[in-house]
Amino acid sequence: MQFLRKKMLFIILIGIILLVVLIGYSLSDRENMSKPEKIINDTVGWVQSVVHKPVNYVTGFLYNIKEMKNMYQENQILKEKLAEYKGLIYEVQEVKEENEELRKLLDKPDSIRDYRAIDATVIARSPEKWIEQVTINRGEDAGVASNMAVITPEGMIGKVLSTSKHTATVQLLTGFDQFNRISATISRKDSKNIVGLIEEYDKETDSLIFRIIEESDKNLKKGELVVSSGMGGVFPAGLPIGEVKEVVYDQYGLTRTALVKPSADMYEINQVVVVDRGLPNPEKDDTSKKEDKE
Amino acid sequence: MTRIYIPLILFSFLVLEGVALELLPHSLVNQKLDIVPHWIFMLLVLVAIFYDREHTHISIIYAAVFGLLIDVVYTGILGVYMFTYAGAIFIVKGLSRILQSNLLSIILFSSIGLIIADISIQLIYFVIGLVHIEWKVYFMVRLLPTILANIIFLIICYPFMVRGLTNWKNRIHEDL
Repeated sequence: MQFLRKKMLFIILIGIILLVVLIGYSLSDRENMSKPEKIINDTVGWVQSVVHKPVNYVTGFLYNIKEMKNMYQENQILKEKLAEYKGLIYEVQEVKEENEELRKLLDKPDSIRDYRAIDATVIARSPEKWIEQVTINRGEDAGVASNMAVITPEGMIGKVLSTSKHTATVQLLTGFDQFNRISATISRKDSKNIVGLIEEYDKETDSLIFRIIEESDKNLKKGELVVSSGMGGVFPAGLPIGEVKEVVYDQYGLTRTALVKPSADMYEINQVVVVDRGLPNPEKDDTSKKEDKE
Repeated sequence: MTRIYIPLILFSFLVLEGVALELLPHSLVNQKLDIVPHWIFMLLVLVAIFYDREHTHISIIYAAVFGLLIDVVYTGILGVYMFTYAGAIFIVKGLSRILQSNLLSIILFSSIGLIIADISIQLIYFVIGLVHIEWKVYFMVRLLPTILANIIFLIICYPFMVRGLTNWKNRIHEDL
């Protein structure tokens, strides 16, 4: 009995030491996952993508039934919108062509808005609610790398946290903390853009905190669209992030922050696009994670 | 052959945990309640009570292995689930000698184990600064719904698992 108890104490102590070492290792500033982790993620990811198909089919079917109820009304609204868009498409095309021509004149083909899109499907979501991340079925083989932005047609949903050969983990906007800042902007006419940083996600108000750097433009309104500005060096410009919900002063009353509601639904994510900015900029990529505030 | 059934079942539930939130109705998920599927833990409780013998530690080893897999695949912070699952299963295994094993006592043991496991996970995340939530809120928003949901899962899979596990246990005993 004496021996048994000693053995148990020993095991518990070793366990605690191992736990601290493992946590310390996983919290350290590592660039990507280790080899065994990648292998595990690939194997589980393969099974997940197999399982996900029937599950997706079932949930999609249930969703469709729900959608059918208000199909008629939606159809009417969409028809109206479509007529508006026809004019818009023509205009956009003209503008695009003109832009290209002007760029050629300037001899400056790279734009801050350019990116290569990698299509992906979400195959799993972390059951642990505190850790807001999803797994997608594209990895290093498809050209996905960490820190790339991930978007849906509605807007930005997050960034790639780590990659393995065939899968990648995406950190959602709702899990962003102060180490993942996005430089964002609200577009205004006559170059009076409101510039600021999306700092973190506030769980209590369910919104992103957008700290406005410049105090120039005072009339920030509810419902205005916040887009990424491309100044951070990681994400391209023009990805929609969310809408302004409320403008509040910070605790010292010096700077204003806007509460931004993400435009993409974080719970119904299915098809996503990974945005590869593709700029050869290795130095910036290292520091981009800790983009400076001011 | 019999020996690989349990890891296979555990692995398939590891995969299913990733799509669990999609299967649940969105009105339930979107609300402020946090329901975390601890399916692997519930299955391991059954393994500990109906499959493990007094001198074997199969369930604890599985708890450590699959806890580590959850860490790698779903959270990225290694060791948290691994040690809390292993520790909680160890306690449940010790407790299970006190009472006869029927559905009620299993529910009691598994909820004790689940409370220990989930609070330890929470505590570790709190210490490393991942979670900032008041304990009172945590009990109402996360712990209670999680336990209820997982007990429902346990009751659903209890009949199938118990029959299977005792069968496999006897078969392995005959082989020896």
